[in-house]
Amino acid sequence: MSQEIKPGEVLLELEDVSLSFGGVRAIKNVGFNIKRGEIRAIIGPNGAGKTSMLNVINGFYHPQEGTITYKGVHRKNMRPYVAATQGIARTFQNVALFKGMSTLDNIMSGRTLKMHRNFLWQMLYYGPARREEMQHRERVEHVIDFLEIAHIRRTPVGRLPYGLQKRVELARALAMEPELLLLDEPMAGMNLEEKEDMSRYILEVNDEFGMTIALIEHDISVVMDLSDRIVVLDHGEKIADGTPAEVSADQDVIDAYLGVAH
Amino acid sequence: MFYRETGQYKTSYEADSSIFPILQDRIGIALMLIVAFVVIPLAGNDFFLSSIMIPFLIFALAAIGLNILTGYTGQISLGTGAFMGVGAYACYKLTTYFPDVNIVLLILCSGFFSAFIGMLFGLPSLRIKGFYLIVTTLAAQFFLEWAFIRVGWLYNYNDSGAIEVPERTGFGLVLTGPSATPTTRYMVVLCLVVAMTWVASNLIRGRIGRSWMMIRDMDIAAELMGVRPLYAKLSAFAVSSFYTGVAGAMMVFFWLGAAEVESFDVNESFSILFMVILGGLGSLMGSFMGAAFIWILPVLLRLIPESFGIDISVATLEHINFMIVGALIIFFLIVEPHGLARLWKIAKEKLRTWPFPYA
Ligand SMILES: Nc1ncnc2c1ncn2[C@@H]1O[C@H](COP(=O)(O)OP(=O)(O)OP(=O)(O)O)[C@@H](O)[C@H]1O
Ligand SMILES: [Mg+2]
Repeated sequence: MSQEIKPGEVLLELEDVSLSFGGVRAIKNVGFNIKRGEIRAIIGPNGAGKTSMLNVINGFYHPQEGTITYKGVHRKNMRPYVAATQGIARTFQNVALFKGMSTLDNIMSGRTLKMHRNFLWQMLYYGPARREEMQHRERVEHVIDFLEIAHIRRTPVGRLPYGLQKRVELARALAMEPELLLLDEPMAGMNLEEKEDMSRYILEVNDEFGMTIALIEHDISVVMDLSDRIVVLDHGEKIADGTPAEVSADQDVIDAYLGVAH
Repeated sequence: MFYRETGQYKTSYEADSSIFPILQDRIGIALMLIVAFVVIPLAGNDFFLSSIMIPFLIFALAAIGLNILTGYTGQISLGTGAFMGVGAYACYKLTTYFPDVNIVLLILCSGFFSAFIGMLFGLPSLRIKGFYLIVTTLAAQFFLEWAFIRVGWLYNYNDSGAIEVPERTGFGLVLTGPSATPTTRYMVVLCLVVAMTWVASNLIRGRIGRSWMMIRDMDIAAELMGVRPLYAKLSAFAVSSFYTGVAGAMMVFFWLGAAEVESFDVNESFSILFMVILGGLGSLMGSFMGAAFIWILPVLLRLIPESFGIDISVATLEHINFMIVGALIIFFLIVEPHGLARLWKIAKEKLRTWPFPYA
């Protein structure tokens, strides 16, 4: 059984994780932890293995070596579906929305695991299934208000500009009410104003709901502002781990990452 | 001018998420239902009921079945004809064993047989996609066709190799067989199709429908949101095949009266697929439009020259029909994958803002 994790305690622990694709070693003996309630940034140059790391955390990739402990439970090769049931949600580097569905339906899809009315009730719709639908709709409307996307509720997401798509994707992840939220470059391709909005949302989610966040981001100033602790990867290896102040003073980091223009 | 949502404020999420949120749409549907349930049975002659309305409704139901699989879940199937066949043969066997049971009940039961077979052939979809899945469903089609010919038990070892619909009753009326009136048959078909369309629309707007569409649009993300691909895909195959199976049983029992394997061949699969493409992938309304188009176009092509006294050979008409349908399929696939239903929607959007398109 998973145990209750209090704020400040370790929620997720990765030890000695290695992942390779054929000959390519994407992650080499990396270990770090994420504590409940913090914003944990993962940074590093292109191809450092950041996305692969998130994929390991939510069960999409299965590392060849190492252990992962989530909420005090050691876990082995879980499916993404199981990760979702355990309260891990994420957004994607390349937006992975359901293109043919409206904004509202995309966000409602985040409620899938919390809806339980069976097939027969769904067939009838009126009655319990609709009541359930409306309860969840209310939660979703809160998320919509919070992220200020009420005006695009009915728009098929395929037609939205990129910045808004990223926001809808965040909304969809928030609708899952996860315990651990993984954000893969949520601000990529955004202009300054959009980035500021997004930063504000991330901070608010973290402050107000105490949601634990793992954040991959290339914009260093954003990372420094937002995160409590930062882990730095380079060529699949962990080269630094600490507070923003510690990391930005680290010579390895300066050499490997901050020195390189992006 | 009159097609407006102005002044119609939604005061609850219920109202906002009803199937037809705009009042004019609700009136439109009500009118259509009145026409279907009252005007057509009173005004339509036997030819219109038997040869146009009944097959149209049955094909629309089959198209809804395929649309659930292809339009909503993104799994392409060329086995529709065979799954219709499973429904028809199942119903034939059921009514052989239980001649006194209400035939409508048996028709619905036969849907479970096709649902089961559909699920079985849907299993590979968990591993394969796209082209390979098409080939698998095609294999299912040919295997089932073979079974319809070779397994004599299915057609009670008739010399003709065909299933012949016996006279069956239900609700105190003769519903099938030669002495069932077109009006009775039409009403039964209409009730079943309307009820099943309503159920389909309920499924689609709820959690299950969303999980189908999630799989269709981005299966990886769907799994990360907690959709189990196994459940979503197999339930889509099951529901879809249930619908096509019931449509197949209705086709034989309420329309054709007798059928052999040719009624369920791959051409049938294609013609249902064309209905779905023309009508609109992922639209229930489109399934009706597509069925109307594919079924009624050839009838019109035959009747119009006739009424002008022009004599065109049947073969020529068939060619013309093929050419029109083919050209339209290509047009829709390239220009408007959401089919007639989408064109209709665009027309409505224009109407809503007319005469100030940028207001
Ligand atoms: N599915 C895969 N198959 C093969 N190689 C992969 C796969 N996924 C990632 N890799 C490889 O693993 C390495 C790390 O990739 P990853 O996407 O994790 O980097 P990243 O840090 O997210 O980079 P970016 O900043 O560009 O997003 C790269 O060399 C990449 O080519
Ligand atoms: Mg990446």
